[in-house]
Amino acid sequence: MVEAYLPKDLDECLKILNEKKVKIIAGGTDMLIQNRSHTGMSIGYRNDVLYINNLNELKNIYEDDAFVYIGAALSLEKIMESDIAPKLLKETILEMASPAIRHTATLAGNIGNASPAGDSLVSLYLMDAELEIRSINNTRRVFLKDFIKGVRKITLESDELITKVIIPKLMFEKAYFKKVGPRLSDAISKLSFAGAYQIYNNKITDIRIAFGAVNVTVVRDRLLEKKMIGKTIEELKGMIDLLTSWYDPLIVPIDDQRSNKVYRKEVAINLLREFIENLI
Amino acid sequence: MKDISTSINKVDNEEKISGQAKYVADIKPEGMLYAFTVRAKIVKGKILNIEYPLLPEGYFVVDYRDIPGQNIVKVIFNDMPVFTEKEITYLYEPIALLVGPDKNVLSKLIEGVHIVYQEEEPLFDWIDSVVHYHFDKGEGKRAFSGKKIIEFNYETSYQEQAYIEPQGFIGYMDGEKTTLIGSIQCPYYVKKAVVQALGESEDNVRIIQATVGGAFGGKEEFPSLIGCQLAVALKKIRKPIQLIYEREEDMLVTTKRHPSRVHFKAAIKDNKIHALSADVGIDGGANIGLSGVVLSRALIACTGAYTIENLDISGDVFRTNTVPNGAFRGFGAPQMFFAIEMFIEHLALELGVDPLVFKKDILVKQGDYTSTMGIFRDPVLMPEMICKAMEVSNYQEKRINYDALDSYKGIGMSWFFHGCGFTGSGEKNIIKAKVRLKKEFDKVEILIAAVDMGQGVKTSFRKLVANILDIDIEQVIFNNPDTDAVPDSGPTVASRTMMIVGGLVARATEEVKKRWAEEKFIVEKEYEQPSYIKYDEEKFKGDAYPAYSWGVNVVEVEVDKFTYQVKINKSWSFYDIGKAIDERIVIGQADGGLAQGLAYGYLEVMNHKQGQIMQKNMTDYIIPTAMDMCPMETYLYENPYAYGPYGAKGVGELSLIGGAPAVAKAIEQAIKRRVFKIPVTPEYIMELIKNG
Amino acid sequence: MAKIKFKLNDKFVELDTDPNRRLLDVLRDDFNLTGPKEGCGEGECGACAVLMDQKIINSCCTPLANVIDKEIITIEGFSKTKKFEVIKDAYAKTGGVQCGFCTPGMIIATESLLNKNPHPTDFEIKIGLSGNLCRCTGYNLIIEAVKEAAKAGDGLW
Repeated sequence: MVEAYLPKDLDECLKILNEKKVKIIAGGTDMLIQNRSHTGMSIGYRNDVLYINNLNELKNIYEDDAFVYIGAALSLEKIMESDIAPKLLKETILEMASPAIRHTATLAGNIGNASPAGDSLVSLYLMDAELEIRSINNTRRVFLKDFIKGVRKITLESDELITKVIIPKLMFEKAYFKKVGPRLSDAISKLSFAGAYQIYNNKITDIRIAFGAVNVTVVRDRLLEKKMIGKTIEELKGMIDLLTSWYDPLIVPIDDQRSNKVYRKEVAINLLREFIENLI
Repeated sequence: MKDISTSINKVDNEEKISGQAKYVADIKPEGMLYAFTVRAKIVKGKILNIEYPLLPEGYFVVDYRDIPGQNIVKVIFNDMPVFTEKEITYLYEPIALLVGPDKNVLSKLIEGVHIVYQEEEPLFDWIDSVVHYHFDKGEGKRAFSGKKIIEFNYETSYQEQAYIEPQGFIGYMDGEKTTLIGSIQCPYYVKKAVVQALGESEDNVRIIQATVGGAFGGKEEFPSLIGCQLAVALKKIRKPIQLIYEREEDMLVTTKRHPSRVHFKAAIKDNKIHALSADVGIDGGANIGLSGVVLSRALIACTGAYTIENLDISGDVFRTNTVPNGAFRGFGAPQMFFAIEMFIEHLALELGVDPLVFKKDILVKQGDYTSTMGIFRDPVLMPEMICKAMEVSNYQEKRINYDALDSYKGIGMSWFFHGCGFTGSGEKNIIKAKVRLKKEFDKVEILIAAVDMGQGVKTSFRKLVANILDIDIEQVIFNNPDTDAVPDSGPTVASRTMMIVGGLVARATEEVKKRWAEEKFIVEKEYEQPSYIKYDEEKFKGDAYPAYSWGVNVVEVEVDKFTYQVKINKSWSFYDIGKAIDERIVIGQADGGLAQGLAYGYLEVMNHKQGQIMQKNMTDYIIPTAMDMCPMETYLYENPYAYGPYGAKGVGELSLIGGAPAVAKAIEQAIKRRVFKIPVTPEYIMELIKNG
Repeated sequence: MAKIKFKLNDKFVELDTDPNRRLLDVLRDDFNLTGPKEGCGEGECGACAVLMDQKIINSCCTPLANVIDKEIITIEGFSKTKKFEVIKDAYAKTGGVQCGFCTPGMIIATESLLNKNPHPTDFEIKIGLSGNLCRCTGYNLIIEAVKEAAKAGDGLW
């Protein structure tokens, strides 16, 4: 039987992390499925585990002038209910799983899982989200895009814990997340898309495009976005074929039991088209 | 007296809503052991050697060597072993049970089982025909010579029953009596199978139905397999044992709806259909089981709701090294009605005729011959139902509006029937249903083997008897079937329960009514086939069914032009089921069946890769949520069948049949392309749109 | 092993057990509360739903460790309330129950939804029920039941 650590506060938690090799569990909804054993048996974790869901220090949400700070153990539902969470994030969360899962699952859990189909990641990449990561001796801040290295690969040291998700406060003319699932709710994405832009004097001042589940991790290319800045909407609409050709090589999805790569690729490009066509 | 259709509170609402109803997993006899199934890890081949780990005290292996009777599961076609001895014919074929008190120990033990196989090349192509049927009507093949020919192919895929409660039994020995409590549709199927596997006397096997958490055909024949396995284990170990599948095991190894391929060919004369030929294949999987019966129902439905004079029909069950397929609500009819509804539509378009005009011209009328030269004896209300369907759904106007190229909207309509009860002479020759009523003072107990699996048997039967006797429903007793208490009234399948068993119960009740003054007595009735029903199973000639239920579905959809996702906006349904014994129960059946039929048409994807089912859980096998389903409007038509109680015909399966063709046709309109297979997934829609 | 305390159906309970056990197993095996069912074991079907601090969760996906100091109400506990009576009557009246296996979870989902939103729209009801699979009904009569409960129980939530 594996050991389960139940720290009372963050200090104790960081101490355990410093001393033991453990798997961190927040809401546990996904970890439990990944480690499912049999009905009536304990969850089949392969390593000792550390539960952080009871740490009140990780359950707050607050803001300053520039950022919104979301505690790692705050449930998705609580984020949706909050007045200060970014609208795009709330809309994304509404597309994730079901009410029951949203009541326990966390944003940090979705990040720590680093699944290519993790819905929240797409919008978080789009907003340049950062993470606060703590260990007993250190606190660091890292961009989400630098934290996730591949399918279920993250750069978290064994003594470290994600403590906050930090999202810049941004102004967009329009921002949305579109999930393409096998049904209209409660499902894992076949692919997903997020797009946002800002406009001033009829010229694009900020434009962001991200795709989920079409590569090992979220696809977002800042250099390509830069090339669109300064253009008028009409100019962008006029160069739509060029735009899709830019993104084409970045979209390299796979075949699996939920869909196939031809569909994922075609629809990813379609969603980019839809986004550009609907710029106003 | 009140109209029987007027709805009442279902008798099991209270216990189900409050969570008190006992399903099989909720029953835990003292000292119960658990059983895990040892399964083959190859698709085809032979077992050369099995090495089991050293078993701790109190743990057991149960395999073919422990079977006291025959190592064969009694189904309709007996070709499935209880435990395989040597031959592996599909992935995860059961080899043995490991039984013991602690699941932690069992899960370690099962990892320690080492099996040496000699692998063989598996067969997935449809070439090994194990059942072949052929029949003609009219001129048969000759009708095609010299005529203009139009032909198309249609394909349907697996569908998983996806009952929310997985399969399972618990069992115990009661003296020498092997007793099983299970989530089952057919107590006597299980009993007969166990009797044969144990080589036991009838008296020493008892099967009891627990509350059933959904079945849809999935708990028709499959439970006989695990019932036999558990019975063998009980005989050996003589302690209570639980054998309950978890979702993944259930999805991977239990029977599913047969994938099908239909090649239709029409001979055209005077721009009308003169003859139809069908070449039908279904994938039986590794065992034949019920597949032949499924095929015959499909073939008999080959003309759909239309009368076609000349037929040349053949079909095959192909054996492949895949999980055995079996019963699922509709039983071959959903596959065939999808194919024929699409074909007739496509045919009309090929001939440049308005499909509605084309179809109305050949729609079945009372007195017409069926595909097997039986007769549609009762009135056919379809014209009235179609008229109403078009009116309330505003069909024609929408049809015109959605024809606009960029609408991405569509409306589709399907016409269909379901032959009620067993195909052919099954009732008379095989089932021979018996029912019993026990009158004691002011109470009457209904003793039948019909199972309430959510379709409301307990309520509707108590209501039926109470209504005839004009007594309170509380005076009528109906307990879950227990083979020690009830006679064999047959399985709970084939939309036969109310029409056939209910018909017998109604006759028995009439007798009770006459003798009401007597304090205590028992009335028994046995099935008698209406004298006009004569059917030759070999030749496919005669009346295959005593009665038919009819339906019209209209479905409206929208397709996302960027993602090709389908959204169903609304459905309208029209059913002639003879007479509703309880309207609200029938509406529930209508909605639920349609949801399954629609999802079969556009949503539910299941396939195998080298014999491995790819969708092994509810995350990957997608059934609709509340978000996916549309508002459903249902209209019921009365058209009493003389031998059904109050005129009732079959209900359960009918509502599943029209969903797929209706949604497929609606999608056809939305994307301006022809559809030839289901499910019409976004991936398929993309392909159709791209390929022009 | 650890001492785990939580409130279960209005009573404080304490167990000395493995925190890695699933709440569903603890409810069914240790407390014989068999109203919550296992349908899929991975948070898709909602048959195992219970209320945690008034909100629906899937007990099959909840490690016992995450229940410490929380309030859990199962269908057995909820069925002693007035709100339950209203929801029960609504489900009975509309015909929202067939095989019944999803029903306790649906009732919990209904309660969780109405707690948060006493007058939901059809769309909000669908979202509220979206984590509870039913294979029998096609959902329409269940949606009707929630509407009926909201109406009949006006003021209760």
